[in-house]
Amino acid sequence: MTWLRGYALLYLLFLYAPIILLPMFAFNDSTIIAFPLSGFTIRWFVEIPNTPALVKSVQTSVIIAVTTALLSTTLGICAARAGAKYTFPFKAPILGFIMLPLVLPEIIVAVSLLVVLLALGLPLGHWTVILGHTLICTPFCIAILNSAFANLDPSLEEAAFDLGESRWSTFRLITLPLVMPGIISALLISFTISLDEFIIAFFLTGTEPTLPVYLWGQLRFPQKIPVVMALGTILVALSVLLLILAEFARRRGIARMGGKDTGGFL
Amino acid sequence: MTPIVSLRDVQKYYGTYHALRGIDLDIAQGEFFSLLGPSGCGKTTLLRTIAGFEEISSGTLLLSGQDMSGVPANKRPTNMVFQSYAIFPHLSVAENVAFGLRKRGDLNAKAKQALVEDSLDMVGLGGFGARAAHALSGGQRQRVALARALILKPKVLLLDEPLSALDKKLREQMQNELRRLQRHVGITFVLVTHDQEEALIMSDRIAVMFEGEIAQLADPQTLYRRPKSRRVADFIGVMNFLPATASGKTVEIGGLGRADIEPEQCPAGTPAGGCTVGIRPETMSILFGDEPAPARETTGTVHELAYYGDMTYYDIVLDGVEKPVTLSMKNLVGRRVLERGETARISWDERALVVFA
Amino acid sequence: MPTFRNSETARGLSLIAPPALFALLLLAVPLTAIFAFSFWTQDFLTIDYTPTLKNYREALSEPIYGQLMLRSVLIAGAVTLATVVLAYPIAYFISFHIAPNRKSLWIFLITIPFWTAYLIRVFLWKVILGFNGVVNSSLMTLGLIDAPLSEISYSPYAVVITLAHAFAPFAILPIFVSLEKIDRSLLEASRDLGESRFMTFLRVTLPLSVPGVVAAVLIVFIPTIGDYVTPRLVGGPDGLMIANMIQVQFLRLNNAPMGATLAVIAMAIVTVISLIFIFLNRRWLKGRKA
Repeated sequence: MTWLRGYALLYLLFLYAPIILLPMFAFNDSTIIAFPLSGFTIRWFVEIPNTPALVKSVQTSVIIAVTTALLSTTLGICAARAGAKYTFPFKAPILGFIMLPLVLPEIIVAVSLLVVLLALGLPLGHWTVILGHTLICTPFCIAILNSAFANLDPSLEEAAFDLGESRWSTFRLITLPLVMPGIISALLISFTISLDEFIIAFFLTGTEPTLPVYLWGQLRFPQKIPVVMALGTILVALSVLLLILAEFARRRGIARMGGKDTGGFL
Repeated sequence: MTPIVSLRDVQKYYGTYHALRGIDLDIAQGEFFSLLGPSGCGKTTLLRTIAGFEEISSGTLLLSGQDMSGVPANKRPTNMVFQSYAIFPHLSVAENVAFGLRKRGDLNAKAKQALVEDSLDMVGLGGFGARAAHALSGGQRQRVALARALILKPKVLLLDEPLSALDKKLREQMQNELRRLQRHVGITFVLVTHDQEEALIMSDRIAVMFEGEIAQLADPQTLYRRPKSRRVADFIGVMNFLPATASGKTVEIGGLGRADIEPEQCPAGTPAGGCTVGIRPETMSILFGDEPAPARETTGTVHELAYYGDMTYYDIVLDGVEKPVTLSMKNLVGRRVLERGETARISWDERALVVFA
Repeated sequence: MPTFRNSETARGLSLIAPPALFALLLLAVPLTAIFAFSFWTQDFLTIDYTPTLKNYREALSEPIYGQLMLRSVLIAGAVTLATVVLAYPIAYFISFHIAPNRKSLWIFLITIPFWTAYLIRVFLWKVILGFNGVVNSSLMTLGLIDAPLSEISYSPYAVVITLAHAFAPFAILPIFVSLEKIDRSLLEASRDLGESRFMTFLRVTLPLSVPGVVAAVLIVFIPTIGDYVTPRLVGGPDGLMIANMIQVQFLRLNNAPMGATLAVIAMAIVTVISLIFIFLNRRWLKGRKA
C-alpha cells in the first residue's frame, strides 16, 4: 500500500509544518517572521529570562497547571471509582453531567463562569482560573481513569480485604499502585490542557496572566515575536522530553506488572 | 464438638431474587467440605456469605460458635482462595504471601520471612519468594494463593472453584495436592465446585445444591450409592433411569424384570404404583460365552459404543425399554469389544437399584 | 433490608459527591446564570433584571448575528469534514499497516506537534499562510503563481486550514481506537468469502469504525464552532466566528446579556446539530442491521 504510506508521510509533513518553523525563527536574526532567513543568533533565548513579565507568566501558568492537575485527577479518581464499583440512585445522569464540559465549547464555560464570579463579586485571580481549568480537565481524567479502573480485577481488592486490610489500606496498597499509570496519565493530560488553555484563562485571569494570555498580549508587538518563538521552542522541547519520560515510565510500569503493551495512553 | 461453621435457616435475597433458601448446615473442624451444584445454584453466594463478602438477609451464621452478623470479611477467621487467584501483580511472590502479616506487630521481619518460606515450602514453591508474581503459571499462582491464605492460619479456608482454570492433567495433580495439604495442616476446607468428580475425589462430605437449597448432604459414597432424588442421582456420575411399577416390596422394572427391594433403597419413601428405578453403569455387565450371571440376568442389543482405552461404554437397548441404558466394561486382557447390533446377555444386581418416585 | 446494601450505596454517593458538587456549583449554576442573563438587559454597567425577550428578538432579527452563526456552522462543518476525512486514512494506516510494537511510536509522533502552545501554532499558520509566508514565497519561486494569494491569509479558508491542523489528533485518535477494536479475523473471513480488499474495507471495516468516526465528528465540530483564537488571528474581517462576537459583547460592548443570548443560541444550535447527527447515525446503523 505505498500510496497510503506516501499519504501518511505527506500528512506528517502537514502536521509538522508549523513547528518546524518554530526553531527556525527562534534562532533567526531578525524581528520579521518571514523568509528569507537572516542569520543565526541565540539572543532571543537570552532575552527570555530578561523579560520579567514573561517569566512571571510562566510561573503563574505552572502553578495553575499543577494545581489543576492535582485537583482534577483527585476528582477524577473519585468519579471513576464511584462509577466502576458502586451503584447509587441517579448514577447515569450525575456521571453524564460531570462529563458535560467535554462537549461544551470553552467560550460558553468561560463566559458563564465569568458571569457568576462577577455577580458574586469575587475577585479574579489564580483560583478562578484553576476552578475553570479543573472543570474542563476533570472529564478527561475520568475518561482515562475509567479504563484504568475497569482493568482492575475486583477480586484483588477482595483478596486484600479478606487478608485483613481495611478499606482504606486496601485502596492504598493495592488499588492505587495498580491504577498508577492511569493516574500519571491523567495528571499529565490535565497539566498540559491547563498550561495550553487560553480562552478560559483570558476571561477569568486577574492581574497575573497565564502564559497563553501573556503571549496573546505580545502578539501585537512585532519585535517581541522572536522571543515568543524562542519560548515556544523551549516549551516544545520540554514537553517532548516529558512525554518521552512518561512513555518510559509507562512501559516500565507495564513490564513490572507483566501486562501487555497495548500502545500509548489510550 | 462445636461445629466450626454453623448455618441455621440462612436466607439471602438480591432484591426480589431469592438466592439462598433456608440453608442449614454444620461443618466440623478439620473437614474437607464441598459445595457442589450447577451454575447459579447459590454455592458461590453461600461461600461468600461465610467469607463475609455478602451479608445474609436472615438466619444465623456462626463461626466457632460466634455470631458473624455485622462482622466484615477482614475481621472473620476465614480466608479465601479466589477463582482468579487474585495474585497482586505488582508484588513479588514473597510480598504476596506476606501480605496478610502486615498488621502483625508481634513479628519482626525475620520471623515473617521464615513464615513465608515455610508457607512456600508447604505448597511446593520453596525458593520462589523473589520471583515476580506476574511471571508465574496458572498452577503456580494457585499455590501462591494457597500459601498466602494458609500463612494466616485461618479457622476455615474457603476455595472458590480453584481448579476450574487449570487443564486436565494439572487439575488432577492439584486435586491430590489439595487433599494432601488439607490433611497436613488440619484446617477445615470449604470448596465450591461444579465438577462432581472433583467433589467426590477430595471431600469428606458434600452438600449438593440446586436453586438455593441443599438437595442432599452426605459423604461421597452415600451420595453416589444412595442419592436422595432423581436430580441428585443424575448430577452425580451417570445414572440409568428405567420405568417401573412397585407393589409392596417388589418392583417390576422395564427391560430387567422383577426385583425385591429394601427400604433403604427408596430414599423418597416406599413407592406404590408407577415409579422410576435408577441403576449405575458399572453395576451391570456383559456376560461372554457361557459365563454364569453372578446375580440376575437379562438380554439386550448393542446400540452404540464408545471406546475410552481403559473402559468401553455401551449403550444397550433392553426389551421393552425405549431409551438405551449405559453400561461400562473394563477392557481386560482377552476381553473383546462388542460390535453395534450384537445381542448380549446382561447381568445386573438388585442391591444396586435405587427407587425414585 | 440488610444494612450492607445501604452502606454500599452510601459509599458510592459519598465518593461521587465531591466531583458532583463541583460540577453542580461550577457548571449547573453558571449555565443557569447565563440562561437567566439572556433574559435581562444591560445599560453600560447597570443591569436591568426585568425579564425580556429583547435580546432574543435582536439576535434573531439583526442579520449580522445570523450571518455570524451561519458562518460559524459552515466553517466548523468544513473543518470537521476536512479533518475527519484527512484523519481516517492515517488512522487506518497506523492501525493496519504498522507493526503493533511501533504503533505507539507513530501515535507519539502525531501528538508531538500539538505540544506547541495553541496560540503559537495559530500564529505560525499566520506566518505560513501570510503574504510573505512560506506558501506564497515557495509557490512564487516555483513560478506557479505571479502574485501572492490573498485568499489564504486573512480569510475563512485560513481559519479552516488552521483549525483542521489544530484538531487533527482529536479526529485521529477516536478513529484509531475504533479501528483497533475490529477483530482482524472478520476481515480474513470476508476475504475468505470472496471479497476484494477494497470491498472488505467498504463492507466490514468502514461500518465497524463508524462509532469512532461519530466520536471524531463530535469531538471536532463542537469545540471548533466555539473557537476564538483562530478566527481572531487568521480570519480577517470575513473569518470571524460567533465566539468573537460573544467576547466583544461581554468585554467590549458591556452587553453581557446579549453575549449570554448569543451563547445560549449557539449552544442550542450545536446541541440540535449534534443530536441530528447522532440520530441519523443510529438510523443508518439500524438500517444496516435489519
